[in-house]
Amino acid sequence: MSQLDKESHIRYIASLDSKRDDYEYWLSEHLRLNGVYWGLTALCVLDAKDTFNRSEIISFVLSCWDTKAGAFAAFPGHDAHVLTTLSGIQILAIYDALEVLSKKPEDSVGSDDMKTQCVAFLQSNQLPDGSFQGDRFGEIDTRFVYAALNALSILGQLTPTVVDPAVQFIQQCYNFDGGFGLSPGAESHAAMSLTCIAALAVVNRLDVLSPDQLEDIAWWLCERQVPEGGLNGRPSKQPDVCYSWWVLSSLAIIGKRDWIDFDKLREFILSSQDPKKGGISDRPGNEVDVFHTCFGVTGLSLMGKDDLIEIDPVYCMPMSVTRTFKKYPYEK
Amino acid sequence: MHGVKRRELTQDLLSKKKARDVEKIVIYRSLTQRVLEAKKNEIYTVEKLSTASKLLELNPEFNAVWNFRRDAISHLRSQLSIEFWDQEINFTTLQLKSFPKVYWIWNHRLWCLNEYPGSPVEKWQQELALVNKLLTMDPRNFHSWHYRRIVTTRLEQMTHVSLNQQELDYTTDMINSNISNFSAWHRRATLLPKMFALSEISDQKEFIKQEQQYITNAMFTDAEDQSVWYYIKWFVKADCVLKVVSAEEYKALLQELKDGIVMINEDEKEFSGKQNIWCLKILCYLETIQVEELGVDLKPMKSEYLAKLAEFDPLRKNRYKYLDEK
Repeated sequence: MSQLDKESHIRYIASLDSKRDDYEYWLSEHLRLNGVYWGLTALCVLDAKDTFNRSEIISFVLSCWDTKAGAFAAFPGHDAHVLTTLSGIQILAIYDALEVLSKKPEDSVGSDDMKTQCVAFLQSNQLPDGSFQGDRFGEIDTRFVYAALNALSILGQLTPTVVDPAVQFIQQCYNFDGGFGLSPGAESHAAMSLTCIAALAVVNRLDVLSPDQLEDIAWWLCERQVPEGGLNGRPSKQPDVCYSWWVLSSLAIIGKRDWIDFDKLREFILSSQDPKKGGISDRPGNEVDVFHTCFGVTGLSLMGKDDLIEIDPVYCMPMSVTRTFKKYPYEK
Repeated sequence: MHGVKRRELTQDLLSKKKARDVEKIVIYRSLTQRVLEAKKNEIYTVEKLSTASKLLELNPEFNAVWNFRRDAISHLRSQLSIEFWDQEINFTTLQLKSFPKVYWIWNHRLWCLNEYPGSPVEKWQQELALVNKLLTMDPRNFHSWHYRRIVTTRLEQMTHVSLNQQELDYTTDMINSNISNFSAWHRRATLLPKMFALSEISDQKEFIKQEQQYITNAMFTDAEDQSVWYYIKWFVKADCVLKVVSAEEYKALLQELKDGIVMINEDEKEFSGKQNIWCLKILCYLETIQVEELGVDLKPMKSEYLAKLAEFDPLRKNRYKYLDEK
């Protein structure tokens, strides 16, 4: 298969919310808001943003508000988390609807507006060593550092008190092989490499990486491409379409996108399409899902293939949206 | 979904699945409703905990339910026996055996250990046995390795006894049983600097010699795999090595490694007519150190290696072009 079947991917994403007869639909409720972000981003890249109903989606985002924590959960009645808060903010930003956050949330009297509460929630999850926990239960991961900085950046609310320790923490997650782990001492992993590199890019601090480090990072990343053309997340692991994003966006951020073979990667992504019902899977022959569909098409966009809308490797959102973000450090 | 084979269901199988799903959905939604209601109204009872268990058995990724569970346990704390805590930990053991890659389960287990009355050393020691078991099932599971690091760090803090030697031996065992286990090589490379710094290695020079022998054996055993090559890349630039060897010893070490690598590559040429791309990559790397950092007078081969790499490893040809032009 040498074509990106745009129409059937758009149809597949559009159909996701109508699968209520499937057990799997209910099992994935805890990822619903993230799923909406993946679906919407894929649709934007496929130039089909209007497939989703804007006002319905914005209402859904707002219905995920967790009054107790003051941030977004994956689904109404669930608990807020740094990751889902980022998804909610990203969706609103894509729809140019961040102004809805300047209202006070429903059923709460006398509290701050939602934006103020989100910022407080994100900041309150930063720990003294600069890392972030995902929520009040203390799990630490560079994914949460990236998510928090990313969300604060979209809201234009980064400050040196948050940024400086976070940057120091990220530097501690760098490994001798040129990758980054989920915490200091953890093995390098391509997804965590992206979270660290993109987090530094969000706060405009890539300069903390030396030229030698950048070369080692790019080396480690380009070694993720396997003979089948796909990229893996760690040495001796199988290729997976989502690494088309984690690896390629990291390379793009440090200006070494062409250190992997585009045509071979494209072939791998395209052979992971489901020709019947649309969507893209982790690797050829597997069941598709919206996560891999998103990172398959965003990967193709980063390679400038298939006439797709341009994606920002730092934020994984359309360039047209991220261009409007205030760049840190902010002018006084 | 990772690693789920796509299935083409026939119309018949599809309607059977739908019929089964109807029942499953009713059960799942009813459990969800009950737990989320209890959560909303802060009804923390043992009965609600058991409803939450049923739900988590169906969906261990449901983080809000884990959160409810912790809130309920914290609330009931004074009424809970030691047996309860052991059962709770056991619940996560069973869950991890089925879902060893679910972050939330690991996270909950860690919470239990921290909150266990008195958080005794013995409890933490038992954790190593669990991690060993899970790493036998999947020696690359990074959750297991991460948890292992947390547990050993905690044990060291509690007992003031270093576990570095024990952990180093563990990486040796893991590598010996599978040389391409990069997770174990990674752990090894993070342990050694600590051991050198804490003077836990009695004869440091001798140790480095033995380590050089160990990695030489490894690269002769499996030259195709990346793991040992990354480790070599670390080893030749590691501060703990550089501090111990003299300039002459360092030069000799690099040259000996190179000689071994050249030998492996020659074998490959004879055997397949091709060259081993990792041999070439590391030869470039070592030669750069020799020439640029040590000023060793040698016949430079780098351009030749890079040309061969562009030929035999075309996926990364732009990197080789960049290095050649640099």
